[in-house]
Amino acid sequence: MPTPLIDVDRCKGCELCVFACPERVLEMSPNINAKGYFFPDVARVEDCTGCRYCLLVCPDTAVQVENKGKTTVRTDGLTETPTTYCPGCTHGVIHRLVGEVIAEMGVRQQTVGVAPVGCSVLAYDFFNCDMQQASHGRAMAVATGIKRGRPDLVVFTYQGDGDLASIGMAETVHAANRGEKITVIFVNNAIYGMTGGQMAPTTLPGQIATTCPTGRDVALAGYPIRVVEMLATLRTPAYLARVSVHEPKAIMNAKKAIRKAFKFQIDKTCFSLIEVVSTCPTGWGQQPHEACEWLEEHMLPYFPLGDVKAPEAAH
Amino acid sequence: MAKKLMKGCEAIGEAAIQCGCRLFFGYPITPQNEIPEYMSARMPQVGGVFVQAESEVAASNMLYGAAGAGRRCFTSSSSPGISLMQEGISYLAGAELPVVIVNIMRAGPGLGGILPSQSDYLQATKGGGHGDYRVLVLAPSTVQEAADLTMEAFDLADKYRNPVMILGDGLIGQMMEPVEFKRRIEPEDLPEKPWATTGAVGRGPNIVNSLYLRAEDLEQHNLALGAKYRAMEAEVRHETYRTDDDPDVLIVAYGTVARIARTSIDNLREKGLKVGLFRPVTLFPYPAAALAAAAARAKHVLVAELSMGQMVEDVRAVVAGRVPVDFFGRCGGMVMTAEELAEQAEKLLAVPA
Ligand SMILES: Cc1ncc(C[n+]2csc(CCOP(=O)(O)OP(=O)(O)O)c2C)c(N)n1
Ligand code: SF4
Ligand code: SF4
Repeated sequence: MPTPLIDVDRCKGCELCVFACPERVLEMSPNINAKGYFFPDVARVEDCTGCRYCLLVCPDTAVQVENKGKTTVRTDGLTETPTTYCPGCTHGVIHRLVGEVIAEMGVRQQTVGVAPVGCSVLAYDFFNCDMQQASHGRAMAVATGIKRGRPDLVVFTYQGDGDLASIGMAETVHAANRGEKITVIFVNNAIYGMTGGQMAPTTLPGQIATTCPTGRDVALAGYPIRVVEMLATLRTPAYLARVSVHEPKAIMNAKKAIRKAFKFQIDKTCFSLIEVVSTCPTGWGQQPHEACEWLEEHMLPYFPLGDVKAPEAAH
Repeated sequence: MAKKLMKGCEAIGEAAIQCGCRLFFGYPITPQNEIPEYMSARMPQVGGVFVQAESEVAASNMLYGAAGAGRRCFTSSSSPGISLMQEGISYLAGAELPVVIVNIMRAGPGLGGILPSQSDYLQATKGGGHGDYRVLVLAPSTVQEAADLTMEAFDLADKYRNPVMILGDGLIGQMMEPVEFKRRIEPEDLPEKPWATTGAVGRGPNIVNSLYLRAEDLEQHNLALGAKYRAMEAEVRHETYRTDDDPDVLIVAYGTVARIARTSIDNLREKGLKVGLFRPVTLFPYPAAALAAAAARAKHVLVAELSMGQMVEDVRAVVAGRVPVDFFGRCGGMVMTAEELAEQAEKLLAVPA
């Protein structure tokens, strides 16, 4: 009989697993863990089908699933260190996907990641590979230096929208245009999380942020930038895709795209950038599951998902 | 290796290659374009990398990545470009990464002009970007010395895990002189850097970083950096000219101005005036003890610079009022003549000390 296994002490009580389970197997416990968070109880194990949706949506790798005598294991692409992200923040899900991809592709020991300035500034504590911490917006310049110096290494950057599409836009466009053989994980959460929820270059029209308290006014701030579509106008071959991590199926697709992006790098084909539409429950002022719904309803119409450019489509 | 007639800029570029550097990241700016141009042609010949970066901000951060991955790398620029690099330089100092940065100074402030200047002395020697840090600063005054110091800069950068700056001016960069490259090192013969991000094989992850969120940790980091900067004092270097007889006027000048001063001194000596030169070669760390000793035997100290007076602040601090310190500078790209400088020295001797 399939069974979800909850690592109670890793749990941050975001309830995303409870909402994701199609069979309503999980229920929040009235008890709290050592960190003071409520955690899910496996309330109706007999209903579990082993779909792993709970595992997929958990941002804190607190869920494994046992099925037919086999138990899923936490990837060694991540360190044991619990992340510093807010409960329910999908940064954690994206970390897991990247960690799984580099571990499953067998390149963890030849990978160097570049952490940005933003909520993921401490990413060097979470990815279980060599890491460099870059100044705000310069991750792709740093990655260029690493890759040009050591072309044998697999190099990725992990950047937020402020980092990549505002202060680092020049580095972004030029790394893509030079066709640097690096992989960029671009976390678009439509806000500046780390500094307290200010407007980002991807904040939606009318969306409230602390520096646009009445909503983004496109007459003054312009429209949110669609980064992958913009980069797709460059002639240099690239793999550019937009994915999301707001629900299990989207998460599975996101992993496929991330894997493809690393593959293009490893095969020395091209620059690759995956824009991951992500949530910021804290900055948006929403419960984690509400944030996932808001993302689907408001962000996806403006930021449509899918492959935007493949290397063979160079013109 | 036989001597070759080369421009200062080219000698710097070739010296970098001769000592095992295979990565150059830079952005064009006058008066140092000969360096990126030279590197763009030479690097491919030796299997090296030349990247014309989108900006000096990007170039300095590319250095961070390459140095963090354990490779010798360098950049060159001129004053406005060096200002843009200060972000990267602060992070390089914070993360303790060895790189070489060449500043062929031009006159400022702002866009200023393209002619030679020494007006970035304070920026170079006092940190330049944010935070408490220093970079080693070496000031050549001949093309041969530019080549020698560039080679040494890479060794010093590795030794101290710190950025090293070659501070020159447009005259040194453009001047042609015979130059000899005294040694040649292949990149594969350079010592391993076990801290570098080269892939976590047989060890835990290496992390290149300047972030310390706990004040206690950051204070310890700053203290360790401070101790390192003090240890660099072992590298102080200077040169004197005609100081054996304890001259009455000691001219203090570096780089191009020191060359001009030699001519002034020869002319004054012919007139029977006792004038000598003290030339700091390392601007950080500053050869303070040697200067204090030399100044103590003089009646006047005359600091000459192509600026409104920057190094003179350090000289005054070293001399500490024991001898009068005068300043003579030209700026904006104007270069003093040997006669002008001699006149200033002569004037001091006319005044009873
Ligand atoms: C040069 C510089 N400017 C500003 C900051 C302050 N700062 C830190 S993080 C950040 C925004 C990060 O937002 P984003 O990239 O969207 O990432 P998120 O925090 O949302 O994950 C800003 C402006 C800084 N650290 N450095
Ligand atoms: S998704 Fe993970 S962190 Fe959130 S409640 Fe479930 S187990 Fe806890
Ligand atoms: S502020 Fe937003 S982006 Fe940052 S960790 Fe919290 S939820 Fe995530």
